[in-house]
This record gives sequence, structure tokens and C-alpha cells, in this order.
Amino acid sequence: MEAVVVDAGSKLLKAGFAVPDQAPTMIIPTRMKRMPEDGAMPSSSAFEDITVDPVVRGFIRDWEAMEDLFHHVLYTGLEWEVGNEGQILFTEPLSTPKAVREQLVQMMFETFNVSGFYASEQAVLSLYAVGRISGCTVDIGHGKIDIAPVSEGAVQHIASKRFDIGGIELTNLLAQELRKSNPHVNLSLSDVEDIKEQYACCAEDQDAFEKTGKSCQKEQHTLPDGQVITIARERYTVGEALFQPLILGLEEHGIVEQLIRCISSVSSDNHRQLMENTVLCGGTASITGFEERFQKEANLCSSAICPSLVKPPEYMPENLSKNSAWMGGAILAKVVFPQNQHVTKADYDETGPSIVHRKCF
Amino acid sequence: MPKHSLTLEKALNFENLGFSSVLCTSSYTSHLILEPSKSVIMYGGDEVSAVVIDLGAHTCKAGYAGEDAPKAVFPSVVGSIDQMDVDDAVKSDSGSALDSKTVVRPFDSDKNKTKRKLYVGSQALGYRRDHMEVLSPIKDGAIIDWDIVDSIWDHAFRERLLIDPKEHPMLLAEPSSNTQQQRERTAELMFERYKVPALFLAKNAVLTSFASGRATSLVVDCGGGSTTVSPVHDGYVLQKALSTSPIGGEFLTECMMKSLESKGIFMRPRYSFKRKEIRPGEFQTVDTDFPNTTESYKLYCQRLIASDIKECVCRAPDTPYDESAYANVPTTPYELPDGQTIEVGADRFKIPDVLFSPSLVQTIPGMESFSDSAPSVRGLPQMVIESINKCDVDIRRELFSSILLAGGTASMQQLKERLEKDLLEESPQTARVKVLAIGNSTERRFSVWIGGSILASLGSFQQMWFSKAEYEEHGASYIQRKCP
Repeated sequence: MEAVVVDAGSKLLKAGFAVPDQAPTMIIPTRMKRMPEDGAMPSSSAFEDITVDPVVRGFIRDWEAMEDLFHHVLYTGLEWEVGNEGQILFTEPLSTPKAVREQLVQMMFETFNVSGFYASEQAVLSLYAVGRISGCTVDIGHGKIDIAPVSEGAVQHIASKRFDIGGIELTNLLAQELRKSNPHVNLSLSDVEDIKEQYACCAEDQDAFEKTGKSCQKEQHTLPDGQVITIARERYTVGEALFQPLILGLEEHGIVEQLIRCISSVSSDNHRQLMENTVLCGGTASITGFEERFQKEANLCSSAICPSLVKPPEYMPENLSKNSAWMGGAILAKVVFPQNQHVTKADYDETGPSIVHRKCF
Repeated sequence: MPKHSLTLEKALNFENLGFSSVLCTSSYTSHLILEPSKSVIMYGGDEVSAVVIDLGAHTCKAGYAGEDAPKAVFPSVVGSIDQMDVDDAVKSDSGSALDSKTVVRPFDSDKNKTKRKLYVGSQALGYRRDHMEVLSPIKDGAIIDWDIVDSIWDHAFRERLLIDPKEHPMLLAEPSSNTQQQRERTAELMFERYKVPALFLAKNAVLTSFASGRATSLVVDCGGGSTTVSPVHDGYVLQKALSTSPIGGEFLTECMMKSLESKGIFMRPRYSFKRKEIRPGEFQTVDTDFPNTTESYKLYCQRLIASDIKECVCRAPDTPYDESAYANVPTTPYELPDGQTIEVGADRFKIPDVLFSPSLVQTIPGMESFSDSAPSVRGLPQMVIESINKCDVDIRRELFSSILLAGGTASMQQLKERLEKDLLEESPQTARVKVLAIGNSTERRFSVWIGGSILASLGSFQQMWFSKAEYEEHGASYIQRKCP
């Protein structure tokens, strides 16, 4: 049986069997709803929609909810049999606290009784997905942005950066802007999320963005409940926010500047290799026009070596950037498990959860 | 306590303790240091792993014990905006901004609670803000501003390592000549503010010694703020033979900056320029103007660039620097952040030679003031010989044959070879001189931290922690007894 690869993000959980060159079979939202325990229907006035986000900013926070989610994914979605569980590979973001890793491996072995476990960092996996072992990953997710230079499969932790901003901030920004320009429309955040995915785009460069302030194409969009809203400049504002974080109210440099600074703090022998093998991944990086804008801003870099984006191999499916961490995991699973480099049940029983720090880098 | 099979090579005795506790190190650990950085060193101690922090004058290193490199490395200077500055500038014209810059804020902020916002970490410091001054908490090796140290630790725990300090014992590295008052203050801050369960203060030189698996050695720590030569005997620093000099990495960076400026090369800080595309394919670098940037921030940015130049091109010369001999040396190109390429020639060798002959500083224009204030600064080989001569005759031989180089500045190319050569000339004939440089250049920067990581994960160390209960019972002064 193939190993299972799971990439639990702040918004979407990607899971599937480790078949390389194919997209994950399950892509489901991580957001869950809490149901009343006893099944008796409460009176309608007391019924609340309690949504639970077990994964916050990339890290698992609500372990009970996560356990239910994994139960659904593994037994219902991927059709594992109780008593015949296979091997599982997890991806994790940068700077995962040790306690979180230990708790995950504990849950996997004790609650789910898996036969093998491995965990790897998303930055490294995204590079494997495009066929490289060295380069720089820019992972723009829903809850966080990770910029990590990787050398020969090892993340340079000292030079890597993590930002607690992501798609969720862009959604809030869009909601704010839309409410200003459409004051009579009642918008919920999930509607705004859909609008963002459909309409958000990046201007070609900073001057083009300024021009949209003066004149911009207006679009009409019909919400599921029938209301109609007008979207004009807001779609460009959302895309611009990553390049000018001042729009979000943050005192930071834009994403290209951060990447350049990050790489320049690594020793200069590796600069060329890192710059020329830059990988963009994550859901938010698939905004229309983002890659072109990124490359354009990168060309403005003053030094002789500019960051340039890596072209994904042809045999990989279309939407690689959204799922590259998962696909890299699938590739890694094919290497790690047959060679017995993973954490086995015997290892776990002998040493305890701390074995994960020794065996999984 | 989990058992680990350590092959015991040497036992270290901490003599001043009332009970005989033996700290064991092993050849196993020194073997692991030299392996590629992906391997994790032995894991020992309880389930909760300790956190090791080394707050130096230039960078702060923090991470988990048992790992082979710190996870969080960031500058130990902070950006600070005085809230009163901001209000003044808003209310009246920019004239008052100049006044508030020159007002001296008292360093001990216990007495005067001026409200200021601190920005810690290379990300926060990298963003230019109006009126942001760059402050350092450490002066001459001692901590003067505890608020800044507090914010640095807070940043390391909550934003970099993402841990709760209540759950992890802390091992802190301290300078070899730390005063009792500083140690008590550290203990107070750690226990009262962060509520750590246990604490230990270990001297830098001892930790470096551990990192190389030796109990007796002469540690030459060329750090950012200063260079310290400390003999360590059986895990114990010999205080009377300590030797310090203010020439450290930052001093060399300053020399490099002044030397380049005198040649007409101006380093533009990263925030002061922008590239624009005026026509397709044609670029132009444009100066951006930020009048409210403080002088200290501009200097900080320029020093970052000069420091990078120093790290990339400098090499220690094989023989003492001679102006005429190096006049025609081939130059090395270096690309500045704004795209200009500069050629560095004789400076490549002159700057590192300052470590060996401090009088060379006088020939660098702009640095003359240094030679007036510190006429008695000695070069590195002289400091080593002096330090060894202050020790007992019996151990001198052992010290000569185990001289350890540590610290960021020690990762300069050819430094080890040059020091060995100079020492062979100056030492007594019978002594066998051996200079050891631990691992590769990355590990040398962190050798103190690595030693701390080894120490905190040894099984036999777990009983030596200064626990919260002991602090509450005996007070901060008990630290002198628990951490010799």
C-alpha cells in the first residue's frame, strides 16, 4: 500500500496516496463546525454556528478537532482500514515548535496506530516538487508567509523568515474595501473569500497600480443571495498589498525586497544558486499576474544576480504552485519509506515522541 | 534519568561546590561536532528540553539544547523610538526633532520611565522608520540597559522560538568576567519576569572548551565587541589570567568603513536608493530622501555593508602588514547593494592585521582617536603569551598545546595559521604550540552556543540547575554558589 501524504494548511488540507506527478486526491477545507454532542436538536434560537479552525497560521492548535479531521480524512476519505493502517508523511511549516511535532507523532502512533511516520518542512518539499534540492522557497499561504533558503536539502534556519500575514489578511482587506465602496451590501467573509479568488489580480508594476486609482474597469458580481456588488480598484489593491505591505498597515518591505535581504544574509558563494532557483508556492501565490509582477520587481534588484523563478517540469500537473508541498511530500515518501529512514512503531515505543527530532529533519 | 552510553574520557570537577558532583564529557561529543550540520547531537535530560541563549555584544544566539546550531540568530542591538520624540515632531516643526535627538536619555530606565517602543530582530531593524535610534544594551562587556535585554529575550522566546519560557530551563552564557551584581540581576529578571523553572549561568570560555571536548584549554574568543583570552583548567576559568582587548569584529568593521571612505567609496545604505525602469531594459538608480532618519540608523546600515565586505574579502596576512609590500597586491571585486562594484586591495590584509598589531590603526585616516584613548592595547599573540605566563608553571605546557579559536571574527581566513606562526616565534622553545579552530566557519561563530547545547543536554548536568524553588528560598545571591 502506498504511503499517505498529508499537508494540513490553515485553509485547505491536502491529502492523498503518494503517487508522484499527480495532484492530491483530497483537498478539503480545514475549517470545521462544532456539532452538539448528543444529537438531539437544540431549539433553533440557541443553535449557534461555531466554526473551528484547528490549524492557525500553519500550526495545529486544536488537537481534538484535528483528530476528528484526520479520522475523516484517513478512514472515510482515503479508506484506510482500522487495524491495517499504513505509513504517513506530514509537512510542517518553518519554526514549528518542538512540542507541536511531538504531539503530532504521539497522536499518530497512539490514536491512529500508523505503522510509520515522517515529517518534513514544506520549504524543502516545494523544491523537490520542481526537481531541485537547493534554492529559495517563497511560500505564501493562507495564514503565513515563509521565505526559506535551502541548501542541499537543509533549510538555513538562520537566514529564513516567517511572517504572520497571508491570504486571511488579504481577505480582510478586501472585505474592508468592498464595504467602503458598497455600503448597502451585506458581505460575509466567506463570500469575500470567493470574490478574492475570482477577481484579485496584480497590477503590472507600481506605476500601473497608481493609474488604477484614477480610472479602473468596473465589474458587477452577483452574490449567492442575489445582491449585486461593484468591484473596481479593490481587486488590484489586494494584489498590491503583498508588494507594498503599507496598504495592510504593516511596517515591512515588500515580498521581493524581503527575499533579496534574506538571501544576502547567506554566505555569498551560494547566492547565485539560491537566487536563480526561486520557487513561488502557496495558494495566495496563484493570484493572476502575481508571478509576472514578482519577476518584474525582481529585475529591479540592483545587484548583478536577480532572483528568477524556476519553471516547473512538464510532467507535473497544472496547479503545481498550490500543492507543491504535497507533491514534494509524495516524491519524498517514495524515498524515505522504502529505505526505512522513517520513525517506526518500534522506534516510537522504545524512545517516545522525542524520536521525531532525531529522525526527521 | 534516561541512560546514555557515553565513553568517559575526562571528568570535570567543580571544586567550589559543597557536594562532589562530577560533570562528564566525552570524546563522543567532540566527534559529532565535526560531522555535517544535518546531524543532531545526543539527546539527554528530561522530555522538556532546555533553551540555550548566548547574548553577545553583536549577535544573540538562541535555540534548543541538543541541537547543533541555534535556531534564532539576530542582532543584539535594537531600534528604539522614543514616544516623546514622535509627539514633539508632530506638534511642532522638524526643528524640535533635532533637539530631542541630542537629549541624553538615562540608561538605567528604572529611574526614568521614558516611554519608548523597541524594535528587535533583523526584520524589524531592517525597516527604516522615522526617528528610530539604534541602541546597544552592552557596553564594555557589561549590560547597562536591562529593558533592552528584556525585549531581546522576549523576541527570542515569543517570536523566534515560539516557546513559553515557563516550561523550559534556561542556560545562559555569560562573559568570563561577569560581576556578581550582573548575575543577580540576570537571575532576577529570568525568575521574576519569565518565571523560568530553572536557570544556569555558564562562562563563555568554559562552554567553548566543552564544544571541543576538552577540560583544559586556552580559549581565544574573538567576538563582535571584544577579544578575550581565558585559560580554562578542569572546567574552571582562571580569573587572574584573563586578558581582554577592545579590538573585536565591530572595531574591525569600523576600520574597514573609515578606510574605504578615505578612498572615496561611499556606502549607500539599503533604504536610500531605489531602481526605476525609465525605458524598457534600461534602469537607473535613484536616491530616495528620508530626512527624519537618525544618524545612528544610517551608521548601522552602513556598518552592515562594511561588515559583509570584511567577511567576504578579508584574509589574515602571513607576515606582519607592510605598506610598501602590499601596495601592488591584486584587488578583489565586491558588489555593493546598489550595484556599484568596488575593488578592495591592500585593505584585505591591513584590516585583519590590526588584531596582531593594534598600532596599525593609526595609519587609517579617521581612526586616530582610538590610539590616544587606548595606548596599551596589545596584539593577539602578546595577549596569549601574557595570559599563559600568569598561570601556574605546571599547566602552561598543556595550555600551549590546546589553544582554541572561537567567535565570529575567528572565522577569518588564515587567522589560525598566522596566530600559530606568531606564537611559535614568541613562545619558549620547549613549548609545543597548537592552535585549534573548532569545525567550519559557521560553527566557530556559535561555538559558545554549541558548548551550551552540549552541557544542557548531558544527563549528569540535570542536577546542577538553579531551580525556582531555590531562588525563592535563598534569593538571587545564591547564584554565586550554584553557578561557579
